[in-house]
Amino acid sequence: MTDMASNQTAPEDERRNVERTVETGSPDPRQHEDKISILLVDDRADKLLAVETVIAELGQNLVIARSGEEALRLMLHQDFALVLMDVHMPGLDGFETAALIRQRKRFEHIPIIFLTATTTHDTQAHASRGYCLGAVDYLLAPVLPDVLRAKVSTFVELFRKTKELKRQAERLREVETQNFKQQLSETNDRLEAETKRNRFFLLSIDLLAIAGFDGYFKQLNPSWEKALGYSDEELKARPFLELLHPLDRETATSEIEHLKTGSAIRYFETRYRCRDETYRWLGWTAAPFPEEGLLYIFARDITARRLAEEKILSLNEQLEKRVVQLTETNREMETFTYSIAHDLRAPLRAMLGFSRALLDDYGAKMDAPGQEFANRIVSSAKRMDQLIQDLLSYGHLSREQITLGPVKLEAALDEVLKECEPHVLEKEAEIQVETPLSDVWAHEGLLVELLVNLVSNSLKFVAPGVKPSVRIWTEEGDAWVRLSIQDNGIGIATEHHQRIFHVFERLHSAEQYPGTGIGLAIVSKAAERMGGRVGVESQSDRGSRFWVVLPKVPRS
Amino acid sequence: MSRTATILLAEDDPNDVILFQRALGRASSNAYSLKVVRDGEEAISYLSGQSIYADRNLYPLPTLLLLDLKMPRKSGLEVLSWLRKQPQLRYLIVVFLTSSNSAEDIRLAYEAGANSYLVKPVEFTEMVELIRNVSVYWLELNEKLPLSAIAASSEGARTSSGNS
Repeated sequence: MTDMASNQTAPEDERRNVERTVETGSPDPRQHEDKISILLVDDRADKLLAVETVIAELGQNLVIARSGEEALRLMLHQDFALVLMDVHMPGLDGFETAALIRQRKRFEHIPIIFLTATTTHDTQAHASRGYCLGAVDYLLAPVLPDVLRAKVSTFVELFRKTKELKRQAERLREVETQNFKQQLSETNDRLEAETKRNRFFLLSIDLLAIAGFDGYFKQLNPSWEKALGYSDEELKARPFLELLHPLDRETATSEIEHLKTGSAIRYFETRYRCRDETYRWLGWTAAPFPEEGLLYIFARDITARRLAEEKILSLNEQLEKRVVQLTETNREMETFTYSIAHDLRAPLRAMLGFSRALLDDYGAKMDAPGQEFANRIVSSAKRMDQLIQDLLSYGHLSREQITLGPVKLEAALDEVLKECEPHVLEKEAEIQVETPLSDVWAHEGLLVELLVNLVSNSLKFVAPGVKPSVRIWTEEGDAWVRLSIQDNGIGIATEHHQRIFHVFERLHSAEQYPGTGIGLAIVSKAAERMGGRVGVESQSDRGSRFWVVLPKVPRS
Repeated sequence: MSRTATILLAEDDPNDVILFQRALGRASSNAYSLKVVRDGEEAISYLSGQSIYADRNLYPLPTLLLLDLKMPRKSGLEVLSWLRKQPQLRYLIVVFLTSSNSAEDIRLAYEAGANSYLVKPVEFTEMVELIRNVSVYWLELNEKLPLSAIAASSEGARTSSGNS
């Protein structure tokens, strides 16, 4: 807009320059246009000449009309400062012509001087008629050159002044228009900027408001109504602290007091009552303008976030409760399993003890089947005791708190071999350990338990008459150590490779290969507890390779 | 006073009592005198010489107390805790003989002042072996505190407890 305004002013400036040239009266080809024109209306050439001579001296532009009609025609196209007109003319006479001139709005005020040679007695009547028609003067012929010159120059001067005045008025008006336009454009700009700012206020999803230090809202954007349900008037009608949740009122009041005394922006969160009596959480950002006594408020509906936080909090509490419950349950389980160990094993001990007593004291009196029955009681009781013990240690393994650390595998394996020694001697087994073995990140007790199970299995599951031969070695990966135990046993068909690691899974009868079916489940659970894995590579009659993958000791 | 050492067995399971007697007979040629009580309260009655146990000729103070952990009325731990506070009895050798091998039970037993903690074997032959070892160690090899020393220490204990 500013650009357009400046474009418009350019030609106006030019025009002003033109006018200035006229004022200074400097010679210019266009000057005749600016000369003041005087219209002389007379039908008689002699009279015309006399007047023409006088007026020519004034240096103005004289236009001659030979009749009233011609005068009227000329005046359609040109402005005149003065009309000098003979009263007596054929056709339209001077008075009639003057009357017609006056009818035009444009010539309402044009001075008309009548020239006449009427006799004295007519003079009075003529003059009064002339004045009625708006003549400004009345000259009798013969015209005195000095008088005529003086009168004409007066009117010319008058016309010039009038014209000058008109021009100045026009210029003034132009300047005013210009100023007005400027103001208008500035106001427009300001209005537009305000409208845009207002749009921020109106379109914001957040709740924007201006409140007085008196505690009342002064201005609110439409989001308040959307968020809380109150109309603009309802919110302005009461102190805004009134709608706070009773538990938050103290916080908010103290925050507002802070705001009134300071100038820092403050943030706080409160619950705010909606029209439907529910509460929503609002996060308030407020800045004070003490000079105005106003608070500029920016509030955001944070209900969802607060609810989520509360939910997380309550979930956490629930979780903590659950952990406490679980810990309690675990402890109960522990107590329970030990009470099982205690209570179940007592009758077993009796069964076993008394079967033995029976065999010892009365064996001689029993025949072979009787002795065998007693022996079966003994072996069943022993088996049941082993089952209970294995189950207990498997259960214990799952619940026990363990801490992992670096374990020297060679030392752990020494312990394992010591524990298996009776078995090794009994079976005349050969165990070959390919040292050095890599250290692992594990729990020594669990690892020993795991390896005892694997080594015992490799000694146990051999075909009748075969001497067990076991090879043990490790391989290192980037982060892992794999320990392998290769035997020359009966092997395991591929379809059983998964099953054997589950509790109570057995592939052979207890008579063939005694056991409870828990050993490999313990192995698998122990590996899992130490962050490792176990597996087997085997085929029937080709021996088995059980492997355990455990984390390497991390480089510090 | 009496020539044979007395063992007091606190055990609520009658089967275990019979098996223990049998195992003890197998384990040792020495004729130990075995006395049996069936719960914790009875053990305390015996040891403090209450009612029928006042007759120390019939019920002499034992050289060794074998305690089951879990018994009716009063547990083995309660008996032991009580025992260690008795000036005349506080040095009595107490060996737990129980089926529990819970780490917590073992800890509590030693904390209460047990001299030894043994888990009952299921196999009878192992039981015989265990009793043989216990009797050899605690009744023969282990040096016993002379009665005069017990009396002297109980004097001291009385004084110190009076001061506290």
